[in-house]
Amino acid sequence: MSGFLEIALLLSAPLLLAAAGELVLERAGSIQIGAEGNMLIGAFAAFAAGLGTGSSAAALAAGLAGGLAGGAAFAVVAVAGRADPILVGTAWNLVAFGGTAFGYRLLAGATGAVLEVPRLHAGALGLPPAVWAVFALPLLVHVGLRTTRPGLRLVAAGEHPEALRALGLSVVAVRTGAALFSGAAAGLAGALLVVTVSPTFVEGMTAGRGFLALALVVFARWKPLRLLPASLLIGAAGALQVRLQASGGTSVPYAFFVALPALLALLALAVTPGRGGAPKALGAPAP
Amino acid sequence: MTVVSRPRVLFAAAIAASTLVLLAVLVLVAGASPGEALAALVGGSVGSGAALGETLTRATSLVLCAAGAVLALRAGVLNIGLDGQFLMGAAAAAAVGPLLDGTPNAARLALLLAAAAAGAVFAAPAVWLSERRGVPPVLSTILLNLVAAAAVTWLVRGPLQDRAADYPQSRPLSTSVRLRPLAPGVRTTAAFPVALLLAAGSGVFLSRTKAGLKLRAAGASPAAARAIGLADAPLRAGALLGSAAFAGLAGGLEVAAVTGRLFDPFGSGVGYLGIAAALLGGTGAGGATAAALFFAALGAGSSALQRDTGVPAAVAMIVPGLLVLGVLLVRRRLSGDEA
Repeated sequence: MSGFLEIALLLSAPLLLAAAGELVLERAGSIQIGAEGNMLIGAFAAFAAGLGTGSSAAALAAGLAGGLAGGAAFAVVAVAGRADPILVGTAWNLVAFGGTAFGYRLLAGATGAVLEVPRLHAGALGLPPAVWAVFALPLLVHVGLRTTRPGLRLVAAGEHPEALRALGLSVVAVRTGAALFSGAAAGLAGALLVVTVSPTFVEGMTAGRGFLALALVVFARWKPLRLLPASLLIGAAGALQVRLQASGGTSVPYAFFVALPALLALLALAVTPGRGGAPKALGAPAP
Repeated sequence: MTVVSRPRVLFAAAIAASTLVLLAVLVLVAGASPGEALAALVGGSVGSGAALGETLTRATSLVLCAAGAVLALRAGVLNIGLDGQFLMGAAAAAAVGPLLDGTPNAARLALLLAAAAAGAVFAAPAVWLSERRGVPPVLSTILLNLVAAAAVTWLVRGPLQDRAADYPQSRPLSTSVRLRPLAPGVRTTAAFPVALLLAAGSGVFLSRTKAGLKLRAAGASPAAARAIGLADAPLRAGALLGSAAFAGLAGGLEVAAVTGRLFDPFGSGVGYLGIAAALLGGTGAGGATAAALFFAALGAGSSALQRDTGVPAAVAMIVPGLLVLGVLLVRRRLSGDEA
């Protein structure tokens, strides 16, 4: 079953990365519905850079930079500008979806030629080190939020922004940092898709992964370590689909597996009651 | 939605100017000539009877989705699930359409009611999750959109598949059921005036009826609404279901008036664009309809733009998204009770 495990981990990693970024932003008191858009931007930037340089490391760096730019745009409008973050994210997804389609058409033309970028080299157990690194992220976030000064300030910005302000600290600055982190994580997650799962760009190729990341944060109850089993479950469902597709001997429709992660997320939300664990100031503008 | 003294003309002029600047930048990035691009955009959207027909055909779903978005937003609910509800409405129409025959108008009515009902039914889990489990509808309806897209993928390859066709799509509606063009040589059908009437009706409902007032009160301040004895939860639930029925109907009309069948992918994000229209239009029915017409013209024009100048048609998503971001930044309390 090593093939199965490998695919499950490969599919989990982008989801986990995007969800960890989203969790950090939500713990700081804001929320980015546009994680999907930032993933798309990351994927497109990685594709463009990978095509131009032939380097998968450059592709990852470009994805990170693209996501950072997306995070910065969000910070300007939704954090410093104090616009409703959910509406901002909804509009951002349109910009990102249209913008990446626009860029792809200019770059690849209307030829329909399949342009591929180099994949990451496999390391231990057939997985690139970058993928393994993603699985360490929840622990880093967990420890970072509990023990480091920036982490504690970030949690304060999400729970008691007034208190943070009373200490003379800027809630906007803290949330801006979190927005940049979440943007970078989503961008990198999109890039990871390109250099591990599908080495080209397709319009809308993130296929709802950014939305699933949002759901993961809720059913992890905003606790970073709980992102691990949740994302592995969804990755395993995806790997099962790949397996069944390959063996051809299935009567289960392919579409079911596409819907499965969303259905699992809905089910989890239905059985675990309430918004318990949500940061108290989630979605509220900075004081 | 009452008529306001707010300088709407100035707002519209600012939007028009911003659109021109954004388009100019995108056209230059794509390396095309701005003059030719403008000619293609105008020609493809309003330049001829056929172009205008294309704009109005595209506007039908957008007007309904925008009206649905307004209905929910006014009750304080963001229905991001319009896209999935649109798909389910289209799927319902494609499922019952081929079975219906006989009196065309009765069949059409049955088809459209089925589509509206399918949209509402598909939003029901979001209502339950919200009221019983405290799950924000934003989250549940986003997930339901993914489920709807997968359902369409399955339906056109499974139960609804047309075995006679070369690629996966549903069986066609019988020609007697399909809506006919209003004039020869034009694609526009009665679907467009129907959408306009319904959007206007939802505006009247929101601004002139007791139920509409209650709904807006629940949206403006749930606590205040409860304090004066309004049951805010059923109001929110009703608004979300009504909003979903609008999107479902839009999907049904798309099948009955435009495509005649369901295929995969279907609709290309009309629900998301509908939300953008609602926000640009200041969450009022009139403004949202105007914004939907504007986005539809942009969509029709951008097809011609891509064909004639090579500038990607995706400008029709980028520009609405950026306009909404700009408006959110400038007027950060759009959903307030200002209209």
